[in-house]
Amino acid sequence: MKVMKKVLLTALIAATPMMAQVKEKIEVPYIAFPIKMGKGFDVVQANCLMCHSFGYIINQGRQSKKFWEGKVNKMIVHFKAPITDKDKKVIVNYLFKHYGNGKEQ
Amino acid sequence: MKRREFFKTAAVTAGAAALGTTAAEAGVTHQPIDNRKVGNVAFPEKRPLITYSDRPPLLETPREVFTCALTPNDQFFVRWHMPDIPTYIDTDKFTINIKGLVKKELKISLKELKEDYEQVEVAAVLQCGGNSRSAFTPTPGGIQWGSGAMGCAQWKGVRLRDILDRAGLKKGAEWLAVQGREKAAYYETPNFIRELHLDELDDHVIIAYQMNGEDLPYLNGFPVRLIVPGVYSDSWIKMISEITVTDKYQKLFFMDHAYVVPDNECECETPEKLFPKTKPIWRMNVKSIIGYPENGAKLTLKSQAVVRGVAFDGGAGIREVQISLDGGKTWDKAILDSGKLGRYAYRTFRYGFKPKKLGKLQIMAKAINKLGEEQPLAKDIKWNHGGYKYNGIDVVTVEVV
Ligand code: HEC
Repeated sequence: MKVMKKVLLTALIAATPMMAQVKEKIEVPYIAFPIKMGKGFDVVQANCLMCHSFGYIINQGRQSKKFWEGKVNKMIVHFKAPITDKDKKVIVNYLFKHYGNGKEQ
Repeated sequence: MKRREFFKTAAVTAGAAALGTTAAEAGVTHQPIDNRKVGNVAFPEKRPLITYSDRPPLLETPREVFTCALTPNDQFFVRWHMPDIPTYIDTDKFTINIKGLVKKELKISLKELKEDYEQVEVAAVLQCGGNSRSAFTPTPGGIQWGSGAMGCAQWKGVRLRDILDRAGLKKGAEWLAVQGREKAAYYETPNFIRELHLDELDDHVIIAYQMNGEDLPYLNGFPVRLIVPGVYSDSWIKMISEITVTDKYQKLFFMDHAYVVPDNECECETPEKLFPKTKPIWRMNVKSIIGYPENGAKLTLKSQAVVRGVAFDGGAGIREVQISLDGGKTWDKAILDSGKLGRYAYRTFRYGFKPKKLGKLQIMAKAINKLGEEQPLAKDIKWNHGGYKYNGIDVVTVEVV
């Protein structure tokens, strides 16, 4: 019984400062996603961070060139990402090099 | 945690997908990814969860939480689509605006919502239509979730029907467009709006301001969100700003393009030949998840072990959960909780046994609902391009030592 009480108490203490945040402005922490550096990264950074974090790229796992090309096209067609044809090529090459599975298709 | 040891060899950087690369073009389905660890950063009002993105926040609940009937608020999954989420809500000024084909437009404050309407409660499962999406190969569009894009809570609020009654519907009113406060970063990106047909509104559909007895956590849609029991979460609009009553369906991106499945009997297709007609996802199918033990756990030979987990469906209610310890050859009934939370909530189940043999042991759980619908084996689920509605029989592999 004693043990139970103690556990409950610590849980309460831990929860209080978190709850208080809603009364104020909340702060969503920044996460440094382990995105790979390399040729074309600057172009990816300039084009892909406007609407979401790099976490979206990493979450997809290793994929084919066709997959990444399709993904960038989806961003342009459905979500209206303003990405030029020239940048698109650089981005797809970067994605395939660092998040590719070696397969074209 | 034991399962971490078990997966020592797997690449487990935050969110890295370990499966989904050996794409058999035919479209195959397997167990979802289950080797991701919680992050080391906690989001507001949350414990550290599996973290896919910070902007917008995407947080998944780890498996071990799926032993309780109500998911604690600080472990409840988080899913937004747009990066621009207000970081402050002035609760004195906040209103829900009801407009369109109504006799009287309403601006309902939180105080009015809590005092001027009948207060109701419902326990219901909130599950992303793409929960377990990582089970599909080739990789469908969207976030590659494990099985933790779901939770169950006791929601408190006001019936949407009562609010619409007070506003009074005009002739021709047929659809509701519900919009939240998340905004796209780029002006041309479609906003996240959900349309509901008025016929789909039953008395269980509420605007909730409370979750498990507390204010909604900010990241779960504070101060109010829509609750549509039995239905996938893309309809449960968070941080509601306005509800517009219309006479026609507007064909919006997130209704008609995202969150759709093939409009055929099996709701399936192949990667080479997508089915031309689609329909929005709606009612959830029957599903169960084992919360304990986890993959890689060690059980002791000939000692008592207990399998625990949760089962749910779209509101028919769970009739039975069965456990198999021999790869699906024989099944044995698990014990269900009393079901007092109602037909939209998790039913917890438990099953005691003594492991008889050393080495690897597969534990499988299968739920059957009151309509007699049961979960298929993972491999028998047919592929769809959005990776929606996966409900394969959950399999956990443990080691008996
Ligand atoms: C104009 C806004 C915008 C830009 C710019 C953008 N995206 Fe997206 N992206 C989206 C939206 C909206 C989604 C869907 C959000 C969701 O469902 O959470 C998305 C989703 C994704 C996903 C998840 C998989 C999927 O199919 O939904 C990946 C991967 C992705 N984007 C990669 C990229 C890459 C790579 C770039 C840079 C070339 C990029 N995005 C630029 C808006 C954008």
